[in-house]
Amino acid sequence: MPATVGDFVVPGDVIADLNSLNGVTLTGPGLHSHEEHNCLLVTRAGTLCFKSPNIYWVEGLQKRYYPKKGDLVVGIVTKKAGNIMKVDIGSSELACLPLLAFEGATKKQKPDLQVGDVVYARLLSAHREMESELVCVDSYYKAGKLGPLSSDGFVMTINLNFVNRLLDFNCPLLHTLGKKYVFEVAIGMNGKVWINSHNVNDTLNLMIALLAAEQESIDNVTKVCRQLM
Amino acid sequence: MRESVITNCEKKFIIKNLEEHRRLDGRAFDEFRDLSIDFGRDWGCCYVSLGKTRVLAQVSCEIQQPKSSRPSEGILSVNVELNPLGAPHFEPNRQTDLFVILNRILEKCIKDSKAVDLESLCIKVNEKVWAFRVDVNVLNHEGNIIDCASIAALAALAHFRRPDITCDGEDTIIHSYSERDPIHTVIHHYPVCISYAIFNEGDVIVADPTLLEEGVADANLIIGLNGYKEVCGLHLGGKAFLDPDSILRCTTKAAGRANIVIQHIKKVLAEDSEKRNKGIVIGFESALSSSSADINSLEKLSLCLDNWKVQKKDKKESVVVTVESNSETHVDATVESLDESSAVLLPVEENGQQVWNVSSSESDSDVEMIVPQSFKKIKPSSTICID
Repeated sequence: MPATVGDFVVPGDVIADLNSLNGVTLTGPGLHSHEEHNCLLVTRAGTLCFKSPNIYWVEGLQKRYYPKKGDLVVGIVTKKAGNIMKVDIGSSELACLPLLAFEGATKKQKPDLQVGDVVYARLLSAHREMESELVCVDSYYKAGKLGPLSSDGFVMTINLNFVNRLLDFNCPLLHTLGKKYVFEVAIGMNGKVWINSHNVNDTLNLMIALLAAEQESIDNVTKVCRQLM
Repeated sequence: MRESVITNCEKKFIIKNLEEHRRLDGRAFDEFRDLSIDFGRDWGCCYVSLGKTRVLAQVSCEIQQPKSSRPSEGILSVNVELNPLGAPHFEPNRQTDLFVILNRILEKCIKDSKAVDLESLCIKVNEKVWAFRVDVNVLNHEGNIIDCASIAALAALAHFRRPDITCDGEDTIIHSYSERDPIHTVIHHYPVCISYAIFNEGDVIVADPTLLEEGVADANLIIGLNGYKEVCGLHLGGKAFLDPDSILRCTTKAAGRANIVIQHIKKVLAEDSEKRNKGIVIGFESALSSSSADINSLEKLSLCLDNWKVQKKDKKESVVVTVESNSETHVDATVESLDESSAVLLPVEENGQQVWNVSSSESDSDVEMIVPQSFKKIKPSSTICID
């Protein structure tokens, strides 16, 4: 039975009767071209989504992060060797972060980072065969919002789908939380979220709120937020 | 796959929370997570979940030659498997420290405390005995595997039935379950492990640590206890200053908990045998459906977002007398008894015109008295809310 848009699909399912524009269909994650004409093969479990006129993708509760060039991620320093740190960004391999890739860092003056510290960084390169490389500066050698994160907050892991939902412009959750609490947050595309606020209790409440929102659909979350706005 | 590093901020955060007598999941220091025990369709198949930690135990048996040192005793072996299903950094068939510790503690707790009557497992001295093997598989690791595994192993052993046998001379005939009723194992006492995590050099001791708490803790104290408050094993992993008193206090507390757990195991066993007698099909279906997602996560979210939300909800349901300033002044009451919708009320409320609450101690009978029409002339363009 061919799957239709909105269905839950599993790897091996075939999607037929695609909508295409000038003979072109765009496929997102979780889909693969099929031998047969005008068919797609599902390679990941999740909900089949479609955006008109011709974009298909599969949305699932994914927790494994695949590095992508340009992504902003929250990483954990796991090793320090010479001028290079190994940072855990949740992908299959550790990423490397040179100590010189911080704003104002020179060979003599380097940021003081220990194993277990958290950094907010951008992926400079992400290749299948090479270890990904992180930087904490932009192309003008300015840090912007990047750099080491204070050790007062808390780091939690959420699923990648929820990250996208949180960062969605239409999602009112962070705005609503901002009305109630004063807090800083760094959301990495790798599913790691660093939160900090003035006191521990607020941070804990924020953590519980995010974990609760993760379980709920975007509609429900929006509804709750609207009620309070 | 390597184990993920616990960040410094997580460590700091947990310690700070503990100093304020709070745990991340809202439990008290000596509170345990929810325990559920379910049995499978087979004898000796047990699924235990403690919070999000999940363990599956299965007992199997075969006939073996006994050990020469104990020719008249059966053999019992406990085997904990850590496979990548439980946590990504677990590797199958690899003897990690955790693997060795888990196996040793379970062995100490169940086998060395002589919980199972091994002599009844003897078929023929020095030749044939039953060998029981308990396989414990960790399905999800969210801290405190040992408690979960010990409960699973014990419940599985208590649930297990071995096939009946008959001996005639040299031959031994094993009867299948359908042929003859299987025989249950004799269990002298029920030892379970209770674990505590020790923080701040012995200042803070929390029960049933989660994965994060285990990682941050200075030391872990695991106490094996049975229902008669007899200690069957004690293990202190890590480094912490502890005075003997605190260990004794922990043991007393653990004894209480052990009693609860054992009662629970016995209750579930009794329920299971009752179901089997009635011929109701048993399986994990019920366990899996009940352990699905958090139902009240939306409630939790709204609670975190705002605490006055609860009050606001009350206000809507409360008796509200509205006097409007338009030409035809009339009384609006948005209460179920008076048939008027709350739509009239809401815009007035948003304008924020003189909204006040009368304390909820006033009973509804008073409200009826306020409603009379003399009231509306006194206060034009105002809202009166009465809880």
